[in-house]
Amino acid sequence: MSEINLQINGRAVTAGEGSTILAAAKAAGIHIPTLCSVEGKSSEVPCELCRVEVAGLAEPVRACATPVAAGMEVDTESKELVAHRKERLAVLAETHFGDCKAPCNLTCPGQINVQGYIAHVAKGQYAEAVRLVMERNPFPFSVGRVCPRFCETRCRRLLVDDPVSINHLKRFVADWCMTNKVDLKLKADSPTGKKVAIIGGGPSGLTGAYYLARKGHDVTVFEAAPKLGGMLRYGLPRYKIPDNVLDYEISTILRLGISVRLGQRWGRDFTLESLQQQGFGAILLTVGANYDEPLNIDGGALPGVIPALKLLRQVNEGSPADYGKRAAVIGGGNTAMEAARSLLRRGAEEVTVVYPRAKTEMPANQRNIREAETEGVQFLLMASPIKVKAAEGGGLDVELIRMKLGEPDAKGIRYPEAVPGTSIHLAVDTVVVATGQSACDGTFKGGSLEEQLELTPKNNIKSNPRNFQTNLEGIYAAGDATNGPRSVIQSVVAARRAADNIHAQLLGLPKEPAESRFNFSRGKSFEQVDLANFEGIRVKLREKMPARPPERAVQDFNEVSLGFSEQMAKNEAERCLSCGCNAFDRCDLKRLAIEHGVDPNKTGMGSKPTYQRREDHPTITVDLNKCIYCRNCANSCEYRAIDLRAESFDDRGRAQNISLTFMEHCVSCGKCVDNCSTGALNKKDQIIPIVGEETRLVRTTCPYCGAGCQMNLKVKGDTIIEVTADPDLAPNYGALCVKGRFGFHFVQHPDRLTKPLIRQGGQLVECSWDEALSYTAKRFFDIKAMYGPDAIAGFSCARATNEENFLMQKFMRTAIGTNNIDHCARL
Amino acid sequence: MASLAITLGSGAMTNCIADTTKTDLFLMIGSNPDTSHPTIGLRIHQALDRGAKMIVIDPRKTAFAERADLWLSIQPGTDVALLNSIMQVIIKEELWDRKFVEDRTEDFDELVRVVEKYPPEEIAPICGVTPEQIRQVARLYAAPGRHATYHGMGITHYATGTDRVKSISNLALLCGKVGVEGGGCNPLRGQNNVQGACDMGALFNTLPGYGGLSNDELFDQYEKLWKVKLPRRPGKPATEVWENILKGEIRALYVFGEDPVLADTNINHVREALEEVNFLVVQDIFLTDTAKMADVVFPAACFAEKDGTFTCTERRVQRVRKAVEPPGEARPDWMIFSELAARMGYEMRYSSAEEVFEEVRQLLPQYKGISYARLEQEGLQWPVPSEDHPGTPVLHKETFTRGRGLFVPENYLAPQEPVDGEYPLLFTTIREYARYNFSSMTGKTKAIDVIAPEALAEVHPNDAQRLGIKDGVMLRLTSRRGTVDIRARISERTQEGTISAPYNFAETPVNALTLDALDRLSRTPEYKLCAIRVEVLTAH
Repeated sequence: MSEINLQINGRAVTAGEGSTILAAAKAAGIHIPTLCSVEGKSSEVPCELCRVEVAGLAEPVRACATPVAAGMEVDTESKELVAHRKERLAVLAETHFGDCKAPCNLTCPGQINVQGYIAHVAKGQYAEAVRLVMERNPFPFSVGRVCPRFCETRCRRLLVDDPVSINHLKRFVADWCMTNKVDLKLKADSPTGKKVAIIGGGPSGLTGAYYLARKGHDVTVFEAAPKLGGMLRYGLPRYKIPDNVLDYEISTILRLGISVRLGQRWGRDFTLESLQQQGFGAILLTVGANYDEPLNIDGGALPGVIPALKLLRQVNEGSPADYGKRAAVIGGGNTAMEAARSLLRRGAEEVTVVYPRAKTEMPANQRNIREAETEGVQFLLMASPIKVKAAEGGGLDVELIRMKLGEPDAKGIRYPEAVPGTSIHLAVDTVVVATGQSACDGTFKGGSLEEQLELTPKNNIKSNPRNFQTNLEGIYAAGDATNGPRSVIQSVVAARRAADNIHAQLLGLPKEPAESRFNFSRGKSFEQVDLANFEGIRVKLREKMPARPPERAVQDFNEVSLGFSEQMAKNEAERCLSCGCNAFDRCDLKRLAIEHGVDPNKTGMGSKPTYQRREDHPTITVDLNKCIYCRNCANSCEYRAIDLRAESFDDRGRAQNISLTFMEHCVSCGKCVDNCSTGALNKKDQIIPIVGEETRLVRTTCPYCGAGCQMNLKVKGDTIIEVTADPDLAPNYGALCVKGRFGFHFVQHPDRLTKPLIRQGGQLVECSWDEALSYTAKRFFDIKAMYGPDAIAGFSCARATNEENFLMQKFMRTAIGTNNIDHCARL
Repeated sequence: MASLAITLGSGAMTNCIADTTKTDLFLMIGSNPDTSHPTIGLRIHQALDRGAKMIVIDPRKTAFAERADLWLSIQPGTDVALLNSIMQVIIKEELWDRKFVEDRTEDFDELVRVVEKYPPEEIAPICGVTPEQIRQVARLYAAPGRHATYHGMGITHYATGTDRVKSISNLALLCGKVGVEGGGCNPLRGQNNVQGACDMGALFNTLPGYGGLSNDELFDQYEKLWKVKLPRRPGKPATEVWENILKGEIRALYVFGEDPVLADTNINHVREALEEVNFLVVQDIFLTDTAKMADVVFPAACFAEKDGTFTCTERRVQRVRKAVEPPGEARPDWMIFSELAARMGYEMRYSSAEEVFEEVRQLLPQYKGISYARLEQEGLQWPVPSEDHPGTPVLHKETFTRGRGLFVPENYLAPQEPVDGEYPLLFTTIREYARYNFSSMTGKTKAIDVIAPEALAEVHPNDAQRLGIKDGVMLRLTSRRGTVDIRARISERTQEGTISAPYNFAETPVNALTLDALDRLSRTPEYKLCAIRVEVLTAH
């Protein structure tokens, strides 16, 4: 075969005679977009993306169908070609129907791959589920207990029956790992030599520490309190997050190698300047919102009036203070709810929450309000305190005034107004003030840097919402300290993003581009989702969280919600409709659309299902709603076992009424899935969408027959996600059988042996390696001494590696001293 | 393997899988790569699509038999007779490669002396074929062209397995089909690393690299490197271990990654021996049936959890790479051996699998030029005598490993257990495409249970009619050694008079039936053939 010289994009390229422009470009490392070319074959209904300009030809030609010629000058990226490709991609996208990312994933403030961890639960891969959560949230235990669950509000299962109990699943996997003492084997990158100080060891601070330590930075957390945890420990009562759970969670984070300085108060024990002098290249302020706004009314400072955070801290530290039998809690946030519920547990018989608006307008999570109410907390709504005074005969008299909503202001917001002459009195022993918290009372003290730190009008630290930098260079702030009390997950997200910025800045890296917002969707709102999507899905109500009865729960600080059992978690995980596309990381249509700046939100996408999803093949699922008729499946099938047809084509060349049939001689090898250009074909057992998580491809040799097929294990964390093969590699050149591509589940099967076993009293029982090895050596030694080395025989293993077979025979011939060594070659 | 080592000097596939694109004619004998080696089967199908010719010699109507140019559905166990007869025709009709035989082989006269006793007219009735079919095979195979033989366990799983392989080798030498691209004698090795386990000397009668136990010079080299006196008495083959345990000769057994309670022939006998043995150590990834009987069980890492190399059927040494952590406290096998040896007072210290491999290449000439660095991109086919050697896709090109190719003619011996009045049917084992060995690995993938949910005994329609067997009924198969219950499938794939069943289902252990008669050279048991009787258990 003679060599042909041509030019592509001005570069001299050599190609074999008869090869196409597409193949020649690929060999030269020039990427010509195509959706329908696979292993040298292209579709009978071409995608038209690969058109290129050839000097001397009037019209662009298809690179996949045009052979190279000597002296040819090819342009693959002219403006006209790019415009043409954009148009073609938009045309193909118009009928593509599906979700790239699931709504739960898109709604989560932390952008956690929710569908992914639910799928791990369904597969019993609990540790991997936790690792997946921890890629974006190092607090699965706490968030799994207190999250407001933004994700569940968008769960499409609502259109069938109930949303999936997502958060309970997160808690389940975290708890399961704790109960089973699973080492998550979280690893940090190699050390960068950069030091980072974090002030405040609450959820934000520890999140920042976690992600910075993972990147290899030397992180020190300074915490004023005697223990880490911040609001999780001192602001949330133990019936929400038990101490042992929080301790375990924090120790998991610290295991990455994070230094901790407890009892170190900013401004007293160190200053920003002193930290900088100690060589900290960056400082992250995550001090939280610990300053209770005072009750600015008459008597607001009387004994018996206490700020909510102080109350919660006392309660959590087990202080013996007596709060009496009756209490009022002023405020409607989550802190107010926890204060009220804690008071009940500390013996108060009557706890009244006072709030100037309606219950639905309280800032507390509605679930928290309901729980407080079930436990007996009373609500005095549309009322506001105006005065507190000491009552005769002890206790406090709180004077309240009724409120009503005033006229809407310029923005249309109606503020409550006092209704004159409606005062009422509440006799209590304690008044808890939970009207709001901020980072400080107006200034931070300590030194000149502290004084220069710019604050918001609400006395929080001002930080740039894009890069979390304060007005001081190298000093960042995130979490409640910057915006007042919010949910844990919101603090986690802010601190994670702050950590990313600190990392980039410390190493002088360009900031990582924001994740593409590109997304196909079956409907952004529930109204837009066609109910035909859910045909055939049977109603299966959500699992109910087991909880202690409220009358019992209020008697102590033990946890109220008891957590899912493994079976409940599995049932619940199986309710997931898996909205997001499992081809997320391999979809060529999405990749090319993003590369070409095509936005299907503007150019159009499918809006309702045309085809029923099919599960009848043993290893493959088919969703023709995503099919763009590239025919890669049929063209890549080496068994010619796929019958793919279209009844007709519309005026823009798109296939109508597609049918895909796996013929009887299909061997279920799954190669078609690896070549599908969208998510129309998926592997039935690959239900974990890879949404930006890091995966590794490990090339290895198939462990089954003697053919020696080369394969790639796609690994996420410590789990094999799927198996693929490289079409260019001997001896199998991309072919694998059903065993090779699908038979890897034995690797991480629960039946695997995990500990040495030794027979005791007729039973095999677990023992240490030391015991097993010593005992075996001794028995071999004794038998050898008594009957000679030939009284011992060994079977080696034709399934194990060369190195191991070599050592087995070496062991038998040297340590034992016999040639009684053989293997099952003949079997 | 033992046979090809004698006849050609290397017990391995002479050619490579990629050679299938160059082969003009495939002689497929006792092998069904569609189920045993699916990706190799695929390449052979593609070669046939492109116009290559095929002869199939197999009692069973495999997919290859269906599309072959010529299919001989021979009487099971009569291959040696058939092959000798084919050679008789080739010599008689002077179709043999005179130059090749003269230049590159020895003992041709021996061959002539034996095979002349096998004229087609006499042999055809024994083999259940016609004399014309024998002549057709002879003429097709001996004709000029790149002609390859492929054989599998359908050849070796007999007490006369080595005789068959020698006969195949004789045929290939006679026609000068060895040492050329697209030709050769190609045994398809069953397990992923059977080739490697043999290469590494996990054999009772050779040191690593096939060095014989009588090679004193080699022993000196090993003893110097390993700093220990090595035993030179021959060891016991695996298949003879059981009777030696029962005789009290063997007292302790160390089983690494095997499950003889399921895998061996006549498993009742194996169980009896394992109950008898004083001390049993099992090292495995699952608690196998054998492990359940052990005194100590070592939890091992599986292929995805460790580094190393496998050597596949085409002698290609390829990397195995660690992808995930072993579960719990499981350890890579090489670590377990090192630690155990140390406690036995013999130091075998290695810090990585690569370090072990470095020792292997120091000792094995075939592996000398192979290193992990060289395997990074693609595997290498041994022999690789030096670091700049590209590997050897085709063996014996200029000269045979042993010098000249040796004709070793063997006479036909009838199968060990013919049918009789009491056991009137033959039984043979086959493989299920989607399953592997006893499913301890494939059985963990749900889809595979869907594809191949249970073992089915194939019964020929004529036998079914005669014995009143309906599709789907439960059968009880009984041999002189044991019994197994299995569902019937009426199928024309199996030969009339023979019931075939896959051995891949642990819950249907058909090896309770099979015969533990051993090959006299390799000591391979006669898995492939025994006599049984059949009863119908249920009507549905």
